[in-house]
Amino acid sequence: MSPNDPAGPAAPQVKALNCPSCGAALTLRSFGNAVSLVCSSCHSVLDATDPDLKVLQKFKAAEDEDSPLIPLGTRGSLRGTDYEVIGFQRRTIEVEGIHYSWHEYVLFNPAKGFRYLTEYDGHWNLFSILRSLPEDDSGASTVTYLGEVYRHFQTADATTTFVLGEFPWRVRMGESVTVSDYVSSPRVISKEGTGKEVTWSMGEYVTCGDLWKSFNLTNEPPVPVGVYENQPSPLSASVKSIWAMVGMFLIASLLLLVIVYVTARSESVFEQTYSFDAASHDEASFVTPVFALHGHTSDVELTTIASLNNSWIYVNYALINQDTGRAYDFGREVSYYSGRDSDGEWTEGSNTNIVTIPSIPPGNYYLRIEPESDPALGVILYTVSVKRDIPQLIFFGFGILAILIPALFITWRAMNFEHLRWAESDYGTPPDDGSLIGTLENLASNFKSSNSGDDE
Amino acid sequence: MILKGFLIYGLVVLALVSVAELRGWSLDRVDQVPNVPKTVRDNPGSYRSVYSSYHHYTGGK
Amino acid sequence: MSQPTANCPNCGAPIAFRWSGSVQTVCTFCKSLLIRTDLDLEMVGKVADLPAAASPVQLGTEGAFAGRSFVVIGRILYEYDQGNWNEWHLMMNDGVSGWLSDAQLEYCITFAAKPEKLPSECRRGQQYTWQGQTYTVSSITKAHYRGVEGELPFQTWDRKDVIFVDLMSPSGKFATIDYSEDPPLLFLGHAVEFEDLKLKNLRSFEGWS
Repeated sequence: MSPNDPAGPAAPQVKALNCPSCGAALTLRSFGNAVSLVCSSCHSVLDATDPDLKVLQKFKAAEDEDSPLIPLGTRGSLRGTDYEVIGFQRRTIEVEGIHYSWHEYVLFNPAKGFRYLTEYDGHWNLFSILRSLPEDDSGASTVTYLGEVYRHFQTADATTTFVLGEFPWRVRMGESVTVSDYVSSPRVISKEGTGKEVTWSMGEYVTCGDLWKSFNLTNEPPVPVGVYENQPSPLSASVKSIWAMVGMFLIASLLLLVIVYVTARSESVFEQTYSFDAASHDEASFVTPVFALHGHTSDVELTTIASLNNSWIYVNYALINQDTGRAYDFGREVSYYSGRDSDGEWTEGSNTNIVTIPSIPPGNYYLRIEPESDPALGVILYTVSVKRDIPQLIFFGFGILAILIPALFITWRAMNFEHLRWAESDYGTPPDDGSLIGTLENLASNFKSSNSGDDE
Repeated sequence: MILKGFLIYGLVVLALVSVAELRGWSLDRVDQVPNVPKTVRDNPGSYRSVYSSYHHYTGGK
Repeated sequence: MSQPTANCPNCGAPIAFRWSGSVQTVCTFCKSLLIRTDLDLEMVGKVADLPAAASPVQLGTEGAFAGRSFVVIGRILYEYDQGNWNEWHLMMNDGVSGWLSDAQLEYCITFAAKPEKLPSECRRGQQYTWQGQTYTVSSITKAHYRGVEGELPFQTWDRKDVIFVDLMSPSGKFATIDYSEDPPLLFLGHAVEFEDLKLKNLRSFEGWS
């Protein structure tokens, strides 16, 4: 435009007007983009495209009607853009006779346009109108948008039950429209309207912490109740990966098992059978010949096998290093009983006892052995055998448990979360969508239904 | 976040299992007695174990 | 590009055409609607004062789309039962004429497409394929001119209601069928976000930086 041109149409300004119905002062914040405007004093719905602000509708607001948690006129920065709250409405659906309401906030930026915040039970979502068409598999329960599959969560008729401020469309109290939500946490696609007029929008879950910071609000945000349809689950996404890791750890454990078994010496270093006379008053203790324990520090497995018949023997052992003088002290009881009674034959105990002595350094060792028993039991024969560097399976068992338990716990928690999420849906239970959790849910419900079937 | 934690945890578990196996750990408890004199080989009776006079058979099945 | 000049037959003010293809323009001084019959401007009537534009775009706004820069040289304000929207006439840097529509700050850029076989009537949800892309009818609007500003590539002073059909696609491509002429006109383009246009020389809004 040349500098000689006079100004074009007037530069936009915030207008101050008066309600034609009650005369109260009105504020228009959206610079001519508003289509409807509600007078907060007399609750008249005005035609904002009419310079005279024709009254379209009047309604009575309930005494206890919620006021906006983010007041009209508040500005906040979302995704790097400043928005101002210019409108507020409450919409209500009815499910099985119970009314559920949520609130919507109209956000405005004079260049970037409109966004919408929804709030239900403390859960917030930031919505934008979609400019590309999602693929609506009519009849199926999914919608695909930009390669992502969204699952149908709920369809209900939403009625406008309260309006305040400005809207870029014709609002009408009592107006009803069919709304369908399709979720893919943390996003949701909302399809509003049928037939002649369908609007697609996409929402993303935002925490009230982030919102309150963006809008610099000082009041307390509402505490979220339950799990919302597209509320992100920190666990659900990880479940598959956790089990993939469990698989890798199990393979690694197997590898470790093979390495341990292959590299272990597993050698027999000493074996001797002794006879103990329990009735004798002689010194029972004696020492074995010296034997060598080779290799690196590892375990020593000592097995006591006694020929027992309704008798017992208790053996005090000390594994003594001939050179360092360090002794490893322990005692083992071997007992075995058998008999017959009204239920049949019974046995108790075992004639074999194995003990694993931990972390024995290599060197020359001998055993000091001192058996004990009931003198009435007479002579008892027992064999002592010593083996070096024997792998123990039990630690692998512990390791596998240690890995499985957190994985199971996380899976259980994730399933719980998804249960709570889908409890609010049209379906009541999580869908079988091919995910790990979906498959587990499917198995669980099949299991339950087959069990209850047996009872009939 | 959880995945990283679980990975580190799993590696620690594997490391512990490796150490347990290679160093020969055991669930059985033994007492260590240092400085046993060499004379015990000649006179085994002079060594008094903490485990002696263990318990007496109290009968029963 | 040469800028042909002439004088307004009503007030004598100089009129410069930024676009060689402009068929009509509005004299910024006396608001007369002028038809160009090659520099012999014929005055058709006056244009009522346009209401304050809600759009941040104004005549002279510059921007870029798909590798071409453009400048806004004209505007049509359409009105319908639910409000209004602006169609900004763009001159691309290669001389091609384009359109930037602004409906409640939702933007689309379209260009006149080669004539295709167009339906005489549409229903929401119907699909059509043009230039290898499938479009679905998303809205059907009955609107009329509320006002014009600047240079436009056709003669417009008809105030009667005309049907406009908007179509969307999964890729963000956008189409409009304009039934103001027979045969109807097809415009193909893209839905765009404000940031993507890199607009400069915008209108300012009181209270917003």
